[in-house]
Amino acid sequence: MKKIGLIVNPIAGMGGSVGLKGTDGGIYKKALKLGAKTVTPKRTKELLSYIKNRNEINLVVAPGKMGEAYVREFNIAFKLIGQVPEETSAEDTRRIIGEMLNGGIELLVFVGGDGTARDVYDAVGSKIPVVAVPSGVKVFSSVFAVSARAAAEIVDAFIEGTNLTEEEVLDIDENAFRDNRLASKLYGYLMVPNVKKLLQAGKEASSMGKSSVDSKGEIARYIVENMDKETLCLLGPGTTLKAITDDMGLPKTLLGVDAVYNNRLVGKDLNEKGILRLLKKYKSKKIIVTPIGGNGFIFGRGSKQFTPEVIRLVGRGNIIIVGAYGKVSKLDCLRVDTGDFEIDKLLSGHIKVIVGKKEEMVMEVRC
Amino acid sequence: MLNEIKLNMNEMPYLPPREVIEAAQKGLSNLNRYANPRDLELLRGLLAAYSGVSKKNIILSTGSDPLLREIIHVFSRRRKVIMVNPSFFPTVQCAKEFVTKLIKIQLRPPEFNLDADIITSETNEPSLVIIDNPNNPTGKILIDREMAKTILDNKNTLLVVDEAYHEFSGVTFADMVEEHSNLSVVRTLDKAFGLAGARIGYLIAGEDFLDAFSTFYAFLPQSSLYSAMEAVKDPSYIKKNIKLTIKERERVGKKLKEMGLQVYPSTTNFLLIKSNIPSVARELKDKGILVLDLSNQWLPDYIRVSLGTLKENNIFLSSMKEILRICNKGE
Ligand SMILES: Cc1ncc(COP(=O)(O)O)c(C=O)c1O
Repeated sequence: MKKIGLIVNPIAGMGGSVGLKGTDGGIYKKALKLGAKTVTPKRTKELLSYIKNRNEINLVVAPGKMGEAYVREFNIAFKLIGQVPEETSAEDTRRIIGEMLNGGIELLVFVGGDGTARDVYDAVGSKIPVVAVPSGVKVFSSVFAVSARAAAEIVDAFIEGTNLTEEEVLDIDENAFRDNRLASKLYGYLMVPNVKKLLQAGKEASSMGKSSVDSKGEIARYIVENMDKETLCLLGPGTTLKAITDDMGLPKTLLGVDAVYNNRLVGKDLNEKGILRLLKKYKSKKIIVTPIGGNGFIFGRGSKQFTPEVIRLVGRGNIIIVGAYGKVSKLDCLRVDTGDFEIDKLLSGHIKVIVGKKEEMVMEVRC
Repeated sequence: MLNEIKLNMNEMPYLPPREVIEAAQKGLSNLNRYANPRDLELLRGLLAAYSGVSKKNIILSTGSDPLLREIIHVFSRRRKVIMVNPSFFPTVQCAKEFVTKLIKIQLRPPEFNLDADIITSETNEPSLVIIDNPNNPTGKILIDREMAKTILDNKNTLLVVDEAYHEFSGVTFADMVEEHSNLSVVRTLDKAFGLAGARIGYLIAGEDFLDAFSTFYAFLPQSSLYSAMEAVKDPSYIKKNIKLTIKERERVGKKLKEMGLQVYPSTTNFLLIKSNIPSVARELKDKGILVLDLSNQWLPDYIRVSLGTLKENNIFLSSMKEILRICNKGE
């Protein structure tokens, strides 16, 4: 028997049918007024109806429309935990997950969108794996399964035994998204059962042979083998870059910029000032970054430390872009938004991305 | 499953004429024998005439896929290989495994234009450029004659154009092989000729390729050989089937657009469709319709659908409608 937590964000995805994008903050009241219907019940029921190993599960659910309301009609053993008010909020999500963790759940299944994923990340971190059921207006984070049904398959895979992988949680600025601007940055990573073909951005055909973990390792090896000892390497955020420092036996700030020189760490979680200081000190320098999954940003989101000034000093020719093929091939282009039009223009055009030890992709950079 | 509707492999939905099938049956009655080399030579001659090239440039194979693999094996050792992404998947897979350096140019929606400058700047060292033209799965013509000439002017570059769908697009570079020794054109009888089950492909090889293929001799299965000879002897039947397919392509494309789906212009016997429903391929499969889900190889939300018969296409259209209706209700 597996103890599995289920939590539903009842208001996620409500804006869609009435043309609003997302329900963060007070927007959902506007959605209700416009006659929006909840979509999470349908998604949650879909999920539950497709899980095969139901007899292997001890569900722990939140009360009412955060879980309990949908479970009753299915033949699954469950236990209630916590209390929720009439109008639920992110705080309820975080609190109840906390109680579930104390109760010893081994996997958390949640239904919601990018905002919910952030709340889950705040509460879960890397303590246990999660299965993310997409129910938002537009769901960008790669932690999500492609559908409720795929999520059910991932739950089954977890019960039957599978290894884990890290996937991105993105911080989508809903205000910007409402204005048709895509503004997002990396918020963190959640652990998910590694069933690539059922995950949103990690989707990589199994016939391609390698999992994204393997290909990150291969890219890292290639980068380290070709790294010039006399060059300062500024490493941006993300697990792809962490694979590089892992290979070198060095630590990495997952969401920050670190610097290595001659196999040593010479800068940790640097801000612009720190980077500029290093740039003065070293003659030869490179920036290594990876695009954010789903939207392809290489500068301007998630790595604000790489300011226009930093990019100007390093130069376009000294920017190395790396990324697992499974992530990069799913991007229609790379994006930059540094806040400096001239730098954005300089970065625009075609650029090569290292996706394997002998494989590169030519991608267009747009601003 | 017997009742599956196969719209996933870009096959011709119509059987070839009775004579072609009877020719295949004739081949089966000699099952204990290898094909007669004289007949193989005859087929080469027929294909040369059909393509308007000389017979010495024609190399036979069991499907065009083995030809592409052979080219990659032989020519990628001292050359970097340049392809577009997406592209015919088995070729890409083969390149991924064997080449020493692979450059893939990502095609960007909605135009999927291939920028000639990228190829020019990438071919500054010995290169093998492989392009499917029209491209599978976008259905688009990626390079024109001018671009091909520019690429071929660089004698350090070998250009291989995969023309699996040229009968549908009407665009071919076969006539340029004579003049450009560094060009080869790969073709197949599996698509427009409706002979996928016979697996006959052929290479129209430029001079630079011929040596490498001097020992590549395909003893084709007899039934395949005879059906191919019969088909190429009088290829007039493919015209009608192509016309039907194109008519269906335009009709189905229009209907899909009316449903609010994004459909891209195609010069082939398939359509590229963007749906916003990640599970659409799977849901079609549940309804007995097979299509190709591209989210595993390329951008999410794209599927490739081959044109079937009128009846099959109608079932596909009504299934799509149903899936969209249910999805929109939920959102
Ligand atoms: C672009 C392209 N090249 C080659 C092939 C394979 O052709 P054959 O069946 O002759 O191996 C296909 C089949 O789908 C194709 O789409």
